[in-house]
Amino acid sequence: MRSSRFALILLLAVSTSAGAHESKYYDLAKGDYPHDVAISAKGEVWFAGQKAGIAGRLDPASGSIERIALGKNSAPHGVIIGPDGAPWFTDGGQNAIVRVDPGSKAVKVWSLPPERMPYTNLNTAAFDGRGRIWFTGQNGIYGRLDPSSGDMKVWDAPKGRGPYGITGTPKGDIWFVSLAGNYLANVDLESGAATVYEPPTKEQGARRVWSDSKGRLWISEWNSGNVSVYDPALKRWQQWKLPGASPRTYAVWVDPDDKVWLTEWSSNAVVRFDPETETFASFPSDRPGANVRQLLGRKGEAWIAESGTERIRVIRTP
Amino acid sequence: MLQALIGAVLLAAAAAEAGNATRGERAFQRCFACHSVDPAEPAKLQGPSLFKIIGRPAAAVPGFVYSEAMQKAAAAGLVWDVATLERFLADPEAVVAGTAMSIPPVRDGDERADLVAYLTRSGAFGP
Repeated sequence: MRSSRFALILLLAVSTSAGAHESKYYDLAKGDYPHDVAISAKGEVWFAGQKAGIAGRLDPASGSIERIALGKNSAPHGVIIGPDGAPWFTDGGQNAIVRVDPGSKAVKVWSLPPERMPYTNLNTAAFDGRGRIWFTGQNGIYGRLDPSSGDMKVWDAPKGRGPYGITGTPKGDIWFVSLAGNYLANVDLESGAATVYEPPTKEQGARRVWSDSKGRLWISEWNSGNVSVYDPALKRWQQWKLPGASPRTYAVWVDPDDKVWLTEWSSNAVVRFDPETETFASFPSDRPGANVRQLLGRKGEAWIAESGTERIRVIRTP
Repeated sequence: MLQALIGAVLLAAAAAEAGNATRGERAFQRCFACHSVDPAEPAKLQGPSLFKIIGRPAAAVPGFVYSEAMQKAAAAGLVWDVATLERFLADPEAVVAGTAMSIPPVRDGDERADLVAYLTRSGAFGP
């Protein structure tokens, strides 16, 4: 554990084609490499410091940052806020699911069974409606942990390597996507069986997925540069190409107003898609090479992990 | 060019002695999600093929879409030999600032040597 520090905060209030918005940037310690970020209901911003092996906690108001070591060989990829208000990490380095208690800062580690695969390249996690956390491992697995009992199950993913983003719907269903497998999958919450749904675009590179308020699954397609959506109720796909000559769509998050936020690497920008008007608004970073691998937020705020510049960014919109 | 290739092969042989390719195959699980050493790999992966990477110039796999950072490193003359691979595995950003590869640093020197020994097994780059 390291002492608190204060981030250098850069505030930009601008009015552009993206509409009135405010961008704020928080500099992190060199080497923290924020891969994913999440904001709690209390307004604490947690990030996964992948190269430093830490949980980072940012106080947006003061800019103070706390760094909590997660364990030997830790390299956290994903972070989400659980129903208990705590940050939960998918820690590839420890090959484990890790929880940090926001009050005591105690770190609890649930290791994956090593006999199946000693290094699964853990990626991302999501809670179902029954208090269990589901996770993906990019080397070709997905799994489920019941934190109350410690019971953990791990399954081989369809088509092997590739499982990446995962999301829970408002009903508590779990869906994940496979980057190398090019599919969306729904899991049976009890048996764990995965049912595959193929997006219309071949070899699209489905990297991340997020549910909107109606349980529709929004997908960022890295290879095709599309954002696509699958509506399980209507069994219908739709897709749109992001702006630019050769877009690369990395991350997706759907805000409480069902606006779809994406990160696009070719234009070095965060992009917001309005499904009603089918239009895009762009929010470029103020530095090149932001390499945003994930974003997540709450009403009026999109929190963004700039792995390339080692900063946390927030975009506030009315 | 021939001299460079001979040098790469000799260095690769030295790496094979220093590292353990069998352990390296296990360590390759760190890379497995995005890379393959199988020249007939059917999946479209996020990283370029590592088949015969020793001695290969950076950003040289035909058809693979490299990051701007890797293309710049290639233009500056980066070649994947034993030394550059070891350095890249230890700290990718230090070798190619802005690289799209997000592997956590391989901090253990023996593990890096094992990985390079494993990569060496598919032979050296060349016509």
